[in-house]
Amino acid sequence: MKANFFANMKISRKLVAVFLATSVIAMGVNIFIYFNLNQALNKINSVFASNISLNELSDGLNKTHQGLTGYLETKGTDDLELYFASYQNVKVMMRQLNSNITDSNVKLSERDIRNMLDTYLKTADEAVQAKRGRNIDEYTAKYNECTKIKDYLNTYIYSVNNEQFRTNSENYMALVNSLRYTEIMSVLIFAVASVMNILLIIILTSTITRPLTRLSAKADEISQGSPENVEPLEVYSEDEVGKVTRAFNEMLASIKDYIARIRTQLITQSEMKEKNLLMETHLKDAQLKYLQSQINPHFLFNTLNAGAQLAMMEGADRTVEYIRNMADFFRYNVKKSSETVKLSEEIELVDSYMYILNVRYAGEILFEKDIDESLLNVMVPSMIIQPLVENSIKYGIKDLEPGEGKVTLSVYREDKMCCIRVSDNGIGTDEEIIEKIMNHEKRPSETRGVGITNVMARLDLYYNNKEVFEMKSRKNEGTHVTIKIPLEGENV
Amino acid sequence: MKKIRVSKNRLAVTILAGIVLVLFFATVAGLVFYRDMIRRLGEVQEEVYTEYPRLYAYIAEDPDSQLSKRIYKEITEYAQQNGCYVEMTGQNLTKNYSKADRINIAISSKVDGIILEGDNSAETSALCKKAIENNIPVVTVLSDCEESSRTSFVNLNNVDLGKEYGRQLAKLRGEKPTASTLNAVILLDTDTRNSDDTIYRSIMAFMAGGTVSLSSYTVDTSTPFATQEKIMKKLDELDKQNNIPDVIVCLNDRTTESTIQCIVEKNLVGKTKILGYYDSETILKAIEKGSVSVTFTVEADTIAKQCINLLNEYNDTGLPSNYATAGYIKIDRTNVAKYYPEEDKNEG
Repeated sequence: MKANFFANMKISRKLVAVFLATSVIAMGVNIFIYFNLNQALNKINSVFASNISLNELSDGLNKTHQGLTGYLETKGTDDLELYFASYQNVKVMMRQLNSNITDSNVKLSERDIRNMLDTYLKTADEAVQAKRGRNIDEYTAKYNECTKIKDYLNTYIYSVNNEQFRTNSENYMALVNSLRYTEIMSVLIFAVASVMNILLIIILTSTITRPLTRLSAKADEISQGSPENVEPLEVYSEDEVGKVTRAFNEMLASIKDYIARIRTQLITQSEMKEKNLLMETHLKDAQLKYLQSQINPHFLFNTLNAGAQLAMMEGADRTVEYIRNMADFFRYNVKKSSETVKLSEEIELVDSYMYILNVRYAGEILFEKDIDESLLNVMVPSMIIQPLVENSIKYGIKDLEPGEGKVTLSVYREDKMCCIRVSDNGIGTDEEIIEKIMNHEKRPSETRGVGITNVMARLDLYYNNKEVFEMKSRKNEGTHVTIKIPLEGENV
Repeated sequence: MKKIRVSKNRLAVTILAGIVLVLFFATVAGLVFYRDMIRRLGEVQEEVYTEYPRLYAYIAEDPDSQLSKRIYKEITEYAQQNGCYVEMTGQNLTKNYSKADRINIAISSKVDGIILEGDNSAETSALCKKAIENNIPVVTVLSDCEESSRTSFVNLNNVDLGKEYGRQLAKLRGEKPTASTLNAVILLDTDTRNSDDTIYRSIMAFMAGGTVSLSSYTVDTSTPFATQEKIMKKLDELDKQNNIPDVIVCLNDRTTESTIQCIVEKNLVGKTKILGYYDSETILKAIEKGSVSVTFTVEADTIAKQCINLLNEYNDTGLPSNYATAGYIKIDRTNVAKYYPEEDKNEG
């Protein structure tokens, strides 16, 4: 409980507590030793106190006697005052003397002094009273008695003083010698207390610094790489270090999370690159197939132009038109195969294609257009409508009677989408085939020329798998293929 | 690996904490011991003593004489056994006081009783009276203070002692040819004239009509070192007169010891016999050697008992017993061995 309380304290308070605790211990020991040493010194000082008090007693007695003598001689008030003052003083000091009978010479002498003082003071009082009663004989006798007792007292005080001084000196020497041992003892205590304080500081400061050391070690681990392998630190306290440790753990978790996200992102990016590569592959594949299946365009254009000039010289206008349309169709293929193009250009390509086909099939294919002209500038991937039209002709209306086949191209706006629909009135497409086409199971190789699968693949790549391609069909009711171009970005 | 490091740290902290705990207790124990040391500093100088309910003063004629010291020793021992303490008033002071002063000191210091070696001086009598007036009983010992109102007297029966000296003189006279006279000198002390006179008178009475010439010579023993000189001077004087005494009678320890020394110095051992007083080692040795024929010593233990009993009785009942007696012991070559101090006997 206490340890937790200490652990949860702020570092500044912990430091204050550490220094306060050690200071209090040091101060306590100091005060204790000082107090006791002082007591010892007082004892040493008091060794000679008995001598001092005996000297004071002797002085007091002599003053009393001086006052008494003066008063008896002259009856002077000053002397009487001196007498009374000293009298009281002596009486007070007298009470401090031993009054018991003992086998100690000094104590017994003290008792004798005390009793003699009492006798002296009584006799002196009687002398003063006799002086007041002007009884000369009596106060003279009392005074003589006092003088005698004073003489005895001084001798006793002097003798006891001598005896006490001898004893006191021995005691003093014994005390001083003993004091040397206490000095050694106090030095030992100081040393032990100091060592204890140092250890206490080491322990308490280490509880503060250890978490910091662990934190720094963890930071080192992280800085050496692979933070995902670094385990979070345990939080033992709620102080600043505890908070920093907690924040450090959160930071570590964030780094780990960030690294995971980057990793995912890299994977996504590589997938994207893969897709792009695939798209290009598809396009090139289409182009290759196209080029493989077609005559070299340049050679073809030259020959077509030569044909057109020949037809013109011969005055065959329809031939000229046909050849030009063919030339446009193939030129478009060569030029725009890898670009986005305007919808109008795609429609022109379809027009050229239909013209060629109609020349080929002697106008048996009916081609209708329903175009929202506001959408002509919408940018779309190239070569997406012609394959659909080709597909409709090839698989939809091929088996119809001549003049019955009809292909309709509609361009219209719907829910912020530009819809391009190619419809035919042909035999329709089996749902199974539609499902295969929509699931990309039908390989381009299964179609002849630039096929619908290729278109779908490119649209998927271009619009990032958005469902822009729709194919609907019913048996003998034709097939409707719709491409929905989102009107966003450059197409808004 | 980390766990081991953590546990090592914890172990180190635990050990340090243990050391701190031990040091803490060591500091506390040290402080307690230190406190005890300081407390004991005062205790060392405490004097151990016993308290008594009563204090009696012993005032001897000559506090430095061996007899006085012997009696004081016996009195002190007996007093302590009977719940009182006796101080030899005026001793251990830086100044020597007269007997009168010492009595005065005892009265002023309000003792519970005085054991006094009395005399018949008026001053002593007056002081005895003063003590009684102050409700301090006075017991005289060795010699009385007849004129005073002292409470009790422990009599040594000096008349009997005188007779005994007389018997010894007669015995020595018997050892001489019948026609000759035994020439004897008795040394009297100025200070104790009272008891000495009694003894002297008793000797004279005993020897009356005999063939013993007994002359007296007064020696002042109050001045230190003078006793031996004065005896020697007297012997020189008698030697010049060709009248060296056959017997010298000494009535106190000082004169006895001084006379022994003078006899040796004057080569009179065997020629002059000494009748001594007291049983100091010197005197006992002299008995063995034959220079002292016989010596008399007081029954100090009896005196001590009687003094203390008289005072205690008076203090307890308020009724005085006027008189008690104690005797003398005669020591000669026949019984000298048993009077040697215990340690000397052991050494022998």
